[in-house]
Amino acid sequence: MRAGSAIAAVKRRSASRASRLYLFVLPATLLFVVFIAYPILWVAGQSLYVGTSAGAVFAGLANYTTVLGDPTFWTVVRNMFLWGVFTIPVQMLIGGVLAYFIERHTHALRGFFRTMFFLPVVTSVSVISLVWVQIYAPYYGIAQEYLKHVGIVMATSPIGDPKSAIYALIIVNIWQWTGFSMLMYIAGIANLPTEVLDAARIDGAKGWRLAVHVIVPMLAPATKSLLLLGVIGTLQTFPIVHLMTGGGPNRASEVFGTFIFKQSFVLGDTGSGAALSVIVLVIALALSLIQIAVLGARLTPAGRQRP
Amino acid sequence: MMPAARIKIRSMVIHAVLFIVLGFWMIPQIYMLSIGLRTPAQAFDAKLFTWPVTFDNFIIVIRDNPLGAIFLNSLIITVATVVIVVAVSSLFAFACAILRLKGSIFLYTTLLTTLMVPLASMVLPLAILLQNFGWVNTYIGLILPYAALGVPFAMVILKSFMEDAPHELFEAARVDGCNAWQTYWHVALPLVRPALVFVTIWQFIVTWNEFFLALIVLTKSEMKTLTIVPMQYSGLYMANPGALFAILTLIALPLILLYVLVQRAFVRGLLAGAVKG
Amino acid sequence: MATLTIDKITKAFGNTTVIPELSLTIEDGEFCVLVGPSGCGKSTLLRIIAGLEPISSGRILVDGVDMSGAEPPERGVAMVFQSYALYPHMDVGRNIGFGLKIARTPAAEIVERVGRAADKLRLGSYLKRKPRELSGGQRQRVAIGRAMTRKPKLFLLDEPLSNLDAALRVGMRVEIARLKSELASTMVYVTHDQVEAMTLADRIVVMNGGRIEQVGTPLELYHRPANLFVAGFIGSPAMNFLNGKVVAVHGLVATVALSWGPTLVIPIERHVEPGEIVTLGIRPEHVELAGEGQANAHVVQASMVELLGSDTFIYANEREESLVIRDSRGRIVRAGDRIAISLPARVCHLFNGDGDRISDAPAAYAEPVPLKERIN
Repeated sequence: MRAGSAIAAVKRRSASRASRLYLFVLPATLLFVVFIAYPILWVAGQSLYVGTSAGAVFAGLANYTTVLGDPTFWTVVRNMFLWGVFTIPVQMLIGGVLAYFIERHTHALRGFFRTMFFLPVVTSVSVISLVWVQIYAPYYGIAQEYLKHVGIVMATSPIGDPKSAIYALIIVNIWQWTGFSMLMYIAGIANLPTEVLDAARIDGAKGWRLAVHVIVPMLAPATKSLLLLGVIGTLQTFPIVHLMTGGGPNRASEVFGTFIFKQSFVLGDTGSGAALSVIVLVIALALSLIQIAVLGARLTPAGRQRP
Repeated sequence: MMPAARIKIRSMVIHAVLFIVLGFWMIPQIYMLSIGLRTPAQAFDAKLFTWPVTFDNFIIVIRDNPLGAIFLNSLIITVATVVIVVAVSSLFAFACAILRLKGSIFLYTTLLTTLMVPLASMVLPLAILLQNFGWVNTYIGLILPYAALGVPFAMVILKSFMEDAPHELFEAARVDGCNAWQTYWHVALPLVRPALVFVTIWQFIVTWNEFFLALIVLTKSEMKTLTIVPMQYSGLYMANPGALFAILTLIALPLILLYVLVQRAFVRGLLAGAVKG
Repeated sequence: MATLTIDKITKAFGNTTVIPELSLTIEDGEFCVLVGPSGCGKSTLLRIIAGLEPISSGRILVDGVDMSGAEPPERGVAMVFQSYALYPHMDVGRNIGFGLKIARTPAAEIVERVGRAADKLRLGSYLKRKPRELSGGQRQRVAIGRAMTRKPKLFLLDEPLSNLDAALRVGMRVEIARLKSELASTMVYVTHDQVEAMTLADRIVVMNGGRIEQVGTPLELYHRPANLFVAGFIGSPAMNFLNGKVVAVHGLVATVALSWGPTLVIPIERHVEPGEIVTLGIRPEHVELAGEGQANAHVVQASMVELLGSDTFIYANEREESLVIRDSRGRIVRAGDRIAISLPARVCHLFNGDGDRISDAPAAYAEPVPLKERIN
């Protein structure tokens, strides 16, 4: 009897203890529900209504057909594709090469190089954008002035020409974020098991062959994560475009961010803004899930593999 | 075997090439500073460097603009966000990795999808939500959404770090009489310190430089942060690039200086496996 | 100081049963060693006692009070972990005093008790060091100190010496033996090393496959192993096992014919039928080297000889059977020699087909003084 009630007391105590433990997950869950889940559901619902938030009428998929019928939408899709296709591999390549040489061939200056190449990442994107506008500027910008000497003559600012605007923006983006790829690869290279590298050297691999046949494959986790982050980052693109071209000229450099911004906040068309938001969300989820399924990529920027 | 002299030459060549690449890489920053140091007469010269230099622009912009107040806005929003993200994500990671609460892995996976959501698809609903809360032009209106967006990444890193910590330590804490909160505070947090530092610095950089949501939530000029003010100065100082670039330099400087100060700890966290595949 | 009663506990992880059903009582002040091969459930049992692992059924009682669902501190346990589990961010003093701090002990008392433990373990000058600045043996002592300061009723040690190198291990073993006499607390000690078990234990619990094979004093296990498993596990080098068959039984004496020839007469205490297949066990140190032509001598071929100085190990073969002989008298034997040996019946163990002991206690073995009397 006495022992029995003692057990019951212990059980009751541990049950209340256990429920109190859920306080650990409560704050994160609340933030998620209020600021992520609810907005997403709201925007999904809103995408089915036309009109302003004051007098909205249910319209089914009308917003989607409007958006998909808008030629600007297809410009955006093309721009986003170009953005991803150029930004991601070029950043990986430059970042990877820098990481390799800094990590394996410098010692005293290693920290210096790591820091300097990473500085664009920590420089405010609005500052960067205005600086690059100045660089690209006609007449007084340094780009046209110095590129003349290597035979590249620019008649106008590259961001003022509908044909070249998106590429000019891509260059800025690559410049800003290469330091991030570099740092991810540095983490990967620094954590490579030395025994494997030693074994490769005993097998006679060195220099170029060591890099290509041993190091690059072993950095696959970092590469996969950079790919995943690159795709999501591409769909996030906004400040550089908004500040440098505003999506112009003539909507030639429009991206999802600026397009949604214009529809929702400039034109006040929340219906098509919402439909666009949902489309971007679906694209992002689909691309992420495909990568996770096909490559086994993880949603972390990746350095080394779990032992 | 390579003779020592050849190794030395190769190392010098690699260093020289790295310096040249870095020189090109730094052109935008150098250019920014260079324009900021020009007299109005030189401001439109299409050159990377001009001579002589003047600090007049810096003196003018510091005198004429409430940069201190703007800086303070950035600082308040960023510090509050970082504190919330670190606290909330470490609690969550502890529940998943150490307490292994029932259902916590399901929650973890759900929260993880946040990482795949582009901000572009969130700004409209967030803007309307914040309007309904009456949080436009308030600090909290940015802090909480930033925290919600920042928690998942921090949580991934802290969870994997806690999972890598020797499990016996947490059992020792239990034997020593710690309840869950005490184990979290006295054992788990100090154990994952490199990861906490990494998460703190990264969240600081991301929040400080966030542009899209700040642009939409902060419309009153006295609430604006350092990231969104350059636009208004670009209009203000259209005819005086020297002043504009002086102010841009001042805006970029705090975070650059901060990063240079903490980069060692940041990279250490990274190398210690703060991020892994 | 406490009596620990384990009452019909079972433990399963999902569908895998780790401990089928187990009962054991550990007396107040006793030093009890759980020993067995890896995976035998000894560490799980210790963690169950500690309260780190919930049980599937049964009860754990400390001094008669049911503690089955209680947290470790409520049970009054302290534990030394295999990896020491020192908090890397705390210095030695804080590591030792952490449990007291959590129990809201006044600061002055913490300092005093930490100081006392540190003195006892010769850690006084290391109190401000971090664990990573200590050697393996020092870390081990910190882990013990941390457990000591709590004045535990139950002092649990999980393979505490397994991470130390051989030389240190001997030193720490002596240290733990000293601690045992000073603390006078009930101690449960898990190890896979039978030398530790033999030297430290008041009582040894031999486990295998989640079951208890035998409980007894070290000498009991050495001289009267209850079955083939215990016989093979206790003693180094391991007991020799030879196949044989009972040819005749006369009262409490059985005549056994070994498959390689010799016939022995062994005193028995359990019934056995003539014709039964049996296993005869004899420890290497009990095999005697006999003079040529001596009565009861059997000739075997020495295939390998290891000279250790104090001892000589002779690996012998004869008709599919192999035998290890440990000679301490410095006889010179070379590989390839044919040597005469004798197997004294008084030190032979006989096991039936199920592996259970049937032979009587060897004559050399005297009943030890009961535990209680030895403590008092």
